[in-house]
Amino acid sequence: MPRFHDHTTDLPEEVFQLKNIDESSVSPGPSNDLRIGVYVCHCGKNIGGTVRCEEVAEYASTLPGVVLSSDSLYTCSEPGQEQIKSDIREHGLNRVVVASCTPRLHEPTFRAACESAGLNPYLLEMANIREHCSWVHLHDKDAATEKAKDLVEMAVGRATRLTPQFELTVPVNRQAVVIGGGVAGIQAALDMADAGYKVYLIEKSGSIGGRMAQIDKTFPTMDCSICILAPKMSEVGRHPNITLLTLSEIREVSGHIGNFKLKVLKKARYVTNECTACGDCIEACPQLAPDEFNAGLSIRRAVYLPFAQAVPSTFMIDMDLCLNSAGIVACDRCFQACAHKCINFADKDQWLEIEAGTVVVATGVDVYDPTALTELGYGRFPNVITTLEFERLINAGGPSSGELIRPSDRRRPQKVAFLQCIGSRSKRSSPYCSNVCCMNTIKDALLIKEHWPDTEIYVFYIDIRAFGKGFEDLFRRARGEGVTFIRGIPGEIIEDIATDNLTLLGENTLLGRHYRYTMDMVVLSVGIRPRKDSEMIQRLFNLSTDTDGFYMEAHPKLRPVDTTTGGVFLAGAAEGAKDIKDSVTQASAAASRANILMSRGEVKVPAITSRIDPEKCTACGLCARVCPYHAIQGGKELGYYQVVEAACQGCGACVPECRFGAIDQTHFTEEQITVQIDHALTRDPNHKIVAFACNWCSYAGADFAGVSRIQYPHNVRIIRTMCSARVDPAWIERAFLKGAGAVLVSGCHPADCHYNNANQNTARRVEKFWKRMEKLGINKDRLRLAWVSAAEGAQFARVIEEMERGLHKLTPESIQEDAEKLAKRSTGKSESS
Amino acid sequence: MTIKIWKFFQREQLFECYQCARCTGSCPAMEVAPALGPRETILICLNQGHDRVVEDEKLWLCCTCNVCEDRCPQEIPICDLLVALRNSAARRGNIPIRLGMAIELLAKTGRSMIVHQLDEMRAHHGLAPLPPAPVDEVRDILKKTGLDEVIEI
Ligand SMILES: Cc1cc2nc3c(=O)[nH]c(=O)nc-3n(C[C@H](O)[C@H](O)[C@H](O)COP(=O)(O)OP(=O)(O)OC[C@H]3O[C@@H](n4cnc5c(N)ncnc54)[C@H](O)[C@@H]3O)c2cc1C
Ligand code: SF4
Ligand code: SF4
Ligand code: SF4
Ligand code: SF4
Repeated sequence: MPRFHDHTTDLPEEVFQLKNIDESSVSPGPSNDLRIGVYVCHCGKNIGGTVRCEEVAEYASTLPGVVLSSDSLYTCSEPGQEQIKSDIREHGLNRVVVASCTPRLHEPTFRAACESAGLNPYLLEMANIREHCSWVHLHDKDAATEKAKDLVEMAVGRATRLTPQFELTVPVNRQAVVIGGGVAGIQAALDMADAGYKVYLIEKSGSIGGRMAQIDKTFPTMDCSICILAPKMSEVGRHPNITLLTLSEIREVSGHIGNFKLKVLKKARYVTNECTACGDCIEACPQLAPDEFNAGLSIRRAVYLPFAQAVPSTFMIDMDLCLNSAGIVACDRCFQACAHKCINFADKDQWLEIEAGTVVVATGVDVYDPTALTELGYGRFPNVITTLEFERLINAGGPSSGELIRPSDRRRPQKVAFLQCIGSRSKRSSPYCSNVCCMNTIKDALLIKEHWPDTEIYVFYIDIRAFGKGFEDLFRRARGEGVTFIRGIPGEIIEDIATDNLTLLGENTLLGRHYRYTMDMVVLSVGIRPRKDSEMIQRLFNLSTDTDGFYMEAHPKLRPVDTTTGGVFLAGAAEGAKDIKDSVTQASAAASRANILMSRGEVKVPAITSRIDPEKCTACGLCARVCPYHAIQGGKELGYYQVVEAACQGCGACVPECRFGAIDQTHFTEEQITVQIDHALTRDPNHKIVAFACNWCSYAGADFAGVSRIQYPHNVRIIRTMCSARVDPAWIERAFLKGAGAVLVSGCHPADCHYNNANQNTARRVEKFWKRMEKLGINKDRLRLAWVSAAEGAQFARVIEEMERGLHKLTPESIQEDAEKLAKRSTGKSESS
Repeated sequence: MTIKIWKFFQREQLFECYQCARCTGSCPAMEVAPALGPRETILICLNQGHDRVVEDEKLWLCCTCNVCEDRCPQEIPICDLLVALRNSAARRGNIPIRLGMAIELLAKTGRSMIVHQLDEMRAHHGLAPLPPAPVDEVRDILKKTGLDEVIEI
């Protein structure tokens, strides 16, 4: 690979420090002291197959300040990193630009390389020529190469304005919180507690155990579910390092990685923990309700224990059902029946405050309710049940004491049908495969065959997915036992009113023939869905969700249990449909990730914060009003405002708010971004779209478009900010003045903002800019605001396509005219909303 | 040959099909006649090309009741597909003879069935004879639908 050198300049003694230059006087070129190294990565064929990397490297060598430029096959590899390190040492590089994949993947890698060679890691800049270029313009090598040059030029421009930053080290509180006490939460809590850390396990319901406690046997080994779970549950109950909080929910969260403060609402149980679970109160209680644990197939009282093996094994009163719900003691039968006097009607909800360094989210899943599929008759025909109901029905501790009976007449069914993919793989319900229902059905079929071998079992399926260890073997066993598998889901179920039997109409697709089967009982193999209330935790911890509604991991392969919120980890089915083994594996992984933080006891937080220049500040206080973290303090008395650095999360929402240019954000300075805008528009600006994208959602969404190889027009140039609220209207204006055809401002969907709804400022500022455009008679479509989540690659591509179509309506003259109109009105740091 | 039918029905929609057969399972025509089930229709279009369907008279047995579409988990507009296929078949002259006769009758008499026997029955019950059918109007409507391009009417 060729390397382009410049041997002229002497090595500078120190890293070059830039003055804070006013936006209007951005200096035209960098100083002589800059020594920038540019590395263009081929990423095998991923970039090199589309972008002519050598040409890009050669172009980079002509850019001011660049003293060395090269291309290599894999820059992230060990030799690639070594090259950068030795170049820093030998050639005295004081800025490094890597043009490769998204900085969301390898920025930490290259920062570490710089750091180990003695260069401040914040003097690294990356140009995303893979996700944002080669992968999305696969069929246009020329355009992709030109775009890569632009992206490199923008990165080099930005690099000339970078200054060293120093990360703050914050202590990590050695206490953890686990949310959700299913098998995943239990495993995570035990792993952290065993490692010696204090753990708060917060469970919403009256007992831990989750879905696994409801299941009879587990595939693929057919162990008794509660028999393997109960010992773990009791271990949680008695572990000295675990505080178990049931009937509890997190309602408020503040703080950040290492130092979270949570407010927990612990609901009244009305039974004290002296309860010995003798059950004497049950008989006394006159109030009845369907038992949720048994999927509504049996009845419980108002005073009850969720299930026999519940932890804590303390009874509870369902106050909505209890006759004393109005707050007056109208009934005290349970109180009278209890020899230990454990019933306490005066029990109150409590607010607890918990501090924690790390959090594991293990809130699990709901199951699909098939009532909406009216053709299957669930809810109307008693003998149509779900797999969850079946689990309770066949369980020795269930409503029928493990006898297989059908609900209508409590007789044992001779012919049982299972219907697969109910509520999964469907645009009408959930589009994804639920991963557990195929094996669950096969397990259920085998259970029936084991106890009642003469039962005829028919499984109606589309595909049988038996992908895991031991799964295929189970499938084979089921066929061996004579379970009939029929390819084709019934289109209709008809009930015989006289016999309650069910007739299934459908087509056997392999035979190409219509069928009509009459069954005694039908079991719907329902899918797994994200919990209805999952939004609550999502908002509290600023998590993202994927297109299916599950919590999203920071990286699908390399950071599968991290979230984009530092210190918060995911475990179990809350992250995506999975079985018990995978849930437990993931829980141990999450615990181990949290343990790393806690055992270190401290963590570095990114050095991206805002700073106020007290000289320029007039103490108007506008910035303090928009800061979502109340990190700006001060006032008229003090004469200025200042940013509390430890509290500042670095959204940058305050910067555009200041009319006096007194605030700037480190590492995303006004000047750095302005230079990027200018370089994006050096060639053919009229055909370009300048897109501002927030780091967490929209930039990641554009990355996702790349990962999915969704092709879109090449004339967009993306500039990253941490939050869309950082986007200064002055930048939009700058882009238009420089002749940009269109400008996109994109961020997380309003409720998903990673900075406490800071992006409401984005919307406000863009709207204000639109009004201004309208007044000046400028086509408003040239500025677009789009909410694009990290999962919406296709949406990002669509927005760019639409904007590109809009460009065709413009002429160089009209763009020039609009720019003149804008220029007339703007003075200095023009538009601070 | 340009494949006109995919102008009327987005071919990409077919790729969504799982071949789950809920559509055919709920099809009332399949219950009574050897119709071409919607699942099979889609599969043939995908694997062998739509020509194979267009040539098959069984295509005409569907009663466009829309039940299949209602049950399809993938929200494939199956009836739109079947109508598009029939249009294609009709343009190639692949119309079942009985159907062609019915259309001819409609165009000629303004009615889809022969009614002189009906008049006798009506008279027997003391009812007035049927008013004459608006033949020209009916023919105009048929022409507006473009039927005259397919069949002589
Ligand atoms: C019918 C059926 C049969 C199955 N059979 C098998 C099988 O045979 N083998 C197998 O390997 N897998 C099986 N699975 C899958 C298995 O149930 C899951 O893998 C497992 O339960 C996931 O565990 P979890 O801890 O992630 O979630 P869950 O078990 O759902 O537990 C989540 C817990 O978090 C609590 N919670 C939720 N939100 C909050 C909140 N905001 N605050 C506090 N607490 C909260 C809930 O109350 C619950 O206790 C089956 C699933 C179903 C539906
Ligand atoms: S007080 Fe409430 S829980 Fe106790 S017996 Fe009466 S109704 Fe039941
Ligand atoms: S696991 Fe099987 S039944 Fe469940 S959604 Fe996937 S394919 Fe359908
Ligand atoms: S608005 Fe954002 S960047 Fe400004 S001080 Fe507050 S948290 Fe920091
Ligand atoms: S119901 Fe829909 S998905 Fe299933 S076979 Fe018919 S068209 Fe395909």
